[in-house]
This record gives sequence, C-alpha cells and structure tokens, in this order.
Amino acid sequence: MKITRRELLISAGSLLAYSQLGSLANAEVNIAAQPGDQEMIASMCKALYPHDRFPMNIYMDIAAGAIKKGNADTGAKISFRAGLDGLKINKFDKMNFKKQTKYLKSIENTPFFGLVRGHTVVALYDHKEVHKIFGYEGASFDRGGYKDGEYNDLSWLPEPRIEEHPDLTAFLDDSSPKKYASLKIKKTF
Amino acid sequence: MKIDKKEKAVVVIGSGPGGAQVAYQLTKQGIPVVLLEAGRRIMKEEYVNEEWPAFSQMAWLDKRTMTGNSRIVKDFNGLPTWLVKAVGGTATHWAGATPRFLDYEWKTKSTYGSIDGATLMDWPIDGKEMKPYYVKAENAIGSTHRGGRPPLPANNNYKVFAEGAKRNGYKFYATGPYGTNAAPYDGRPASIQDGFNFQGDKSGAKWNPNVSEIPKALATGKLELRTNSQAVQITTDSSGKADGVLYMDTKTKALHRQEAKVICVAGNSIETPRLFLMSASSRFPNGLANSSDQVGRNYMRHLTGSVYATFDKPVNFFRGETMAGFLADEVKHNPKRGFAGGYYLETLALGPSFLGAFLDPGKWGKKFADMMDGYQNMAGMWIVGEDMPQANNRITLGSAKDAFGLPAPNVHFDDHPNDTAMRNHAYEKGEAIYKAVGAKQTYRVTPYPHTHNLGSMRMSAKAKDGVVDKHGRCHDVKNLFVSDGSVMTTGAACNPTLTITALAIRQGEYLADQLKKGNV
Ligand SMILES: Cc1cc2nc3c(=O)[nH]c(=O)nc-3n(C[C@H](O)[C@H](O)[C@H](O)COP(=O)(O)OP(=O)(O)OC[C@H]3O[C@@H](n4cnc5c(N)ncnc54)[C@H](O)[C@@H]3O)c2cc1C
Repeated sequence: MKITRRELLISAGSLLAYSQLGSLANAEVNIAAQPGDQEMIASMCKALYPHDRFPMNIYMDIAAGAIKKGNADTGAKISFRAGLDGLKINKFDKMNFKKQTKYLKSIENTPFFGLVRGHTVVALYDHKEVHKIFGYEGASFDRGGYKDGEYNDLSWLPEPRIEEHPDLTAFLDDSSPKKYASLKIKKTF
Repeated sequence: MKIDKKEKAVVVIGSGPGGAQVAYQLTKQGIPVVLLEAGRRIMKEEYVNEEWPAFSQMAWLDKRTMTGNSRIVKDFNGLPTWLVKAVGGTATHWAGATPRFLDYEWKTKSTYGSIDGATLMDWPIDGKEMKPYYVKAENAIGSTHRGGRPPLPANNNYKVFAEGAKRNGYKFYATGPYGTNAAPYDGRPASIQDGFNFQGDKSGAKWNPNVSEIPKALATGKLELRTNSQAVQITTDSSGKADGVLYMDTKTKALHRQEAKVICVAGNSIETPRLFLMSASSRFPNGLANSSDQVGRNYMRHLTGSVYATFDKPVNFFRGETMAGFLADEVKHNPKRGFAGGYYLETLALGPSFLGAFLDPGKWGKKFADMMDGYQNMAGMWIVGEDMPQANNRITLGSAKDAFGLPAPNVHFDDHPNDTAMRNHAYEKGEAIYKAVGAKQTYRVTPYPHTHNLGSMRMSAKAKDGVVDKHGRCHDVKNLFVSDGSVMTTGAACNPTLTITALAIRQGEYLADQLKKGNV
C-alpha cells in the first residue's frame, strides 16, 4: 500500500495503472519477460532522465520496478505490451539521444509512457546509489547530527549575519492600515 | 483521565497546533477535555529520516479530489494538500517559520480597497489586540530571535541566500524566527543540525504539539486523548445547540458517540468545513452553522513557489536545519510592484527523493536531469505570500467516497491574477539573489501540494459575512467553536502557525472564562 500511495502522489496521470499492485501474484501472462526487455526499458529510463554519472545497473533496477508495475493488472499489461513493442520495432535502444527524445515526445500521451516516466522519476531519485553519486548524505541523527564544520562548511562566500537587522522591528511595526491605505492600487485586474 | 461518553464534556476535535493548544489552555485551568484525533500518536523515536517512508508514516492520504486552474490539479490530483494525520497534526511536518501578521494585514479590505474577484474583508480583531497573544505564542513555540532566545547558526543554504540578498541591497535577512531551538528551551534540546524537520524531527528540538502541549496537557490529569478517533458528525439538540459528536474508530470502523457541552473543531481547513457540511440536518439543511453559506468558501493556500539554483562549487544544502533563513524586505504592501500585499523568502532544502518529485512535476529530459545532477551544488528557497480570498475557492462534499464511505472533500482552487503577479515578481527576486552569487542554472518551481491551508470557516463581525465571530465561536451555534487556521478572514503574507497558536491561546482563555461563568 505504501508504494501505491507514494506513486499516486507523483504520477496522477497514471493513477489507474498503479491502483492494483496487489494482484501481481496471480498474473498468468507476464509482460516484458523476454531476454533484452529489461535492457530496452532501462534505455528508455535513461533517455528520460539522462545522467552520464549513473552506471547502467541503476537504470536496470528502475526498469525492473517499471516492469513489475506493467504487470500489475490487465490494463497495465496491455498498454505496457504495446509500448514495449513500439520500442522494439523502432530499435529505441540503438537510436542516438536526440532521436530517442523525439520518439519519447511522440508517445508522451500514452499510458505506457506515463507509467514508465512516473515510476522512474520517483524510483531513480530515491535510489540509494544515486544519493551517493549526488553526494547526498541523508540521515545523521544516529551520529549526533551534522557537525559544526559540516553543515556550515561552505567557504566560497563570506560569513553572513545571523541576527535580524536592527531596523527590522521598526520596519515591521510601521504598518498602520491608514498609512498603507493611502498607497492606491491602480490596476484591480 | 477517563471521561464517560455519556458525560456532557468539552470536546476538541484535532490535535494540531490549534486543537492541542485549546485543549492545553483548558486543562491547564482544570477543565476536563476529550481530545479526538483521527490519527495515531507517533513518538519521536519512531520518526523515519527518509523522505518517502516518513511521508507514508504520517500524511493524510484519505481520498480527496481537486478542481481549478492550479497545476496541482494535473500533477497531484489525489493529493491537493500536504497534511498530517497524527497527534500533533501537520506541525509534525512543519518547518517552523514564525512571523507575525503586520497591522494592516488584519484590515486588508480597508487597506487594499476592492480588488476584482477577491473577497477581501477586515478581521473583527486587530494587531493591537493580538500583540500579547503573539508574545505568548512565541514563548509557547520557543521562536528564535524572540524573547531573548538566540538565533540558529548559519548553515550552507543560508550562506548563499544571505550573501545573495545582501548583494541585492536587501537588509532584513536572518536565520529566523523559527520554532526550532537554537539553545535548550522548555525541556527540549537545542538543534543538532540533523535536518529532517519535515519528517518529524527525532531530536525534539523542533516545536510541535506532540512534544509540547500534548504531554503538558496529559500531565494536568485533565485530558483524555482518544487517538484513531475521527469525528464524522456533530449533532444538535432541539434548541439548535451542539450536543454530541459521532466519531469512528479508524481501525475497527466502529461508530461511537461522545455527549458534549462545548465542541471545538480544529481539523484544518479541509476537514473542518467537511465535518460541518457532513453535519447537515433538517434544522441546518446547508450544513451546520452555515446560514451565511460561507462554510467551505474563501479557502486560501498562500501564494507559494520555490527557486532553486546550482553553482560551480558545493553547497550541500541538505545539511543542517531544513529551513533556517528568512527575508522580510518584500513583505510590505507596495502596489507599484503591480500587486497587492507582499511575501517572504525562506530557505528550504529537499533531499533528492522529494526534489525529483517536486522540481517540475511531469517534466523529463536533459534540462531536468542536469538540474538534478547539480544537487550537491544546489541552494533553494521558498516563496510565501498573501493570496487573495475568493468565494469560489472552496471546499465542498464531492461525489467520490473515501474508504469509510464518507463523501470525499473536493478542493477547488483558482489562482487570482494578483497571486500570479506576485509569484512572478518573487521568482524574479529569488533568481536575482542567486544570480548575484554566481548561479549557473536557476529553476522556478511551481507550488507543492498545499501546506498552508487557511480560510473556509471565515471569521467575521457580522453573521451574514462569515461562520465564526471574533472568538472563533459559530455565529449560528453558540457552543460550537472553530480553533484552527480555517477561521482566517484573510491569510497575510506570513506562515500561519504562530497566528493559529496565538488565536487558540486567546480562544482557550476566553472559553475557560466563559465556562467558569457558566455562559456556555
Ligand atoms: C511541509 C510543511 C511545512 C510547513 N512549514 C510551516 C512553517 O514553517 N511555518 C508555519 O507557520 N506553518 C508551516 N506549515 C503549516 C503548519 O503545519 C499548519 O499551519 C498547522 O499545522 C495547522 O494547524 P491546525 O491545528 O490548524 O491543523 P493541523 O496541524 O493540520 O491539525 C489538524 C489535526 O486534526 C486531525 N483531524 C482532522 N479531521 C479530524 C476529524 N474529523 N476528527 C479527528 N481529528 C481530525 C488531523 O489528523 C490533524 O492531526 C507547514 C506545513 C507543511 C506540510
């Protein structure tokens, strides 16, 4: 349920595709089960969110998750099958990046695209290896938080003032309705 | 304390900043209170320092729908708002900024005049009357920079923000006021700069009712906190007074009834009007206390947006407090800018997980990926300003049903042209701040699902103009009060929770006095 809701938030366009993750276990015909299918989807994930710094195994993980969702229910299966077929026929993985982008634009309104894109944007940037590559360090509570010299280690700008400006109180207090009503608004939309 | 369901009790609905504060004010004076909270109590040890798991742990995810011209309708339709269902309410998520209303912001109709399409109205109270309550609220929350409390230190995100502000000629920047302790206060520790404020804050340095008013009220021995207890209807007696609350155990779905002599509703600006609308009866056919037809109307969400920027060198903006930078120079009403009202700029850091979802919903391609790729060199800020109240920005009961078979609320929201003009101005100023310190790429981010939910149960001097009077008491039902941000007549530029707290303290004191005098 948790995952369903999370994606419900991100990918309103493909709500239907996500709403029945529960029926996975009983699936009979699985989509994207041929050799090379996961690689094909991974190439699509990479074209959607291209990061040279990410090794292909990350995109393969994301593709695996997308395929799982593509098998979630009958509706997802038929749209996923059709979408994958399109990638294969057009040899999407062999296209250059420019052509890939053009192709993706042409299928942007399909449920297949919505499903793969919606899944990728969430799963990719939530991926632990991606966090590492980005330099994101995440939780620090267990080691007592970020230390002095860590959370404030930026040294390419001068140290700023942290107190309020001495004139701030006067600035905020000078706010009588009468005075400000004298500033007339010309445009009222 | 255990209070019998048959006993006519003082019942408070919702344990966020509004409800918890009223409950504390009453119990502190020896008045027993039943506090109904739809969510469970999550102790701070349980908070999870990861964005999505924490979101799933506490967000209000019951079905809601949305209509209107806002981009959220398309991008986040099932989730118009970002609210919490747990003891402590949405303050479990809150970042902690605690600015006050400016004096004229209580009187926007008199100050701004008439603006087409906007339903501006003066509050029936003013800045002078609220001043002592603001002081009490700042002391309750422990706002930094106030009451002799020290400022938070500068983190990396603030350094970029402050220097950029300075180079743009701005003066009124600082690391607060924020409701996160810079030094130990009120039995809670100083910040350990571990971030994850939005995820509850494990250390307890951040104020929220779950670590403050709730334990204090429980310690009086006068509070019965009933968790997983969602109010679904308020009933009235033959004289038209409220006499009970029907609430459901969200685990077993069993329906219960608590007899009541006074009811304070603080479910936030969607659930509060929803409850009133679900309480329609033959005596109140348009919904409870709705003779004015104002229940649910003039819903506001603040003018919001964000600006992120990447630089040549590392920022590591995720380290330390989530929000700890504040700029007030643009807050003053100055119609020369092309709009009424003003706004604040506040630093904000998101982890990659949330940033990916919120940076540009629906977007893909190289430009988006490049922006994300600059994560380590990124700084970010949030815009918060006054939005125009509009009669048709409104909470109604939709045709969809939630998992309990109750009508799901629909949130209708259209931006007013004043909102759009203000947002564009703020985007430009935000970008200028970052460009002044060498931004490589800047990014304008559209509003997140609404975090500030205001209006919808308007406070008014006259019964025909609003739902509640200057004490938050319903014009139509004298023993029924509203105790949350939904009473806001207009929203001002400032983040709302300090004002919600100040109003709740004021209401609690008033109600305790009235109860003692036997006036309710
Ligand atoms: C990410 C984020 C950051 C924020 N940052 C700031 C900030 O910096 N400064 C600021 O001022 N504000 C901030 N806010 C907003 C702040 O959290 C809210 O203004 C505040 O919590 C509102 O208080 P409330 O009591 O009106 O409602 P809530 O805090 O939403 O509490 C309502 C409570 O009522 C319960 N409830 C609802 N319906 C029922 C029912 N029918 N029966 C029983 N219980 C019910 C809910 O479960 C909830 O616990 C932020 C919010 C978010 C999401």
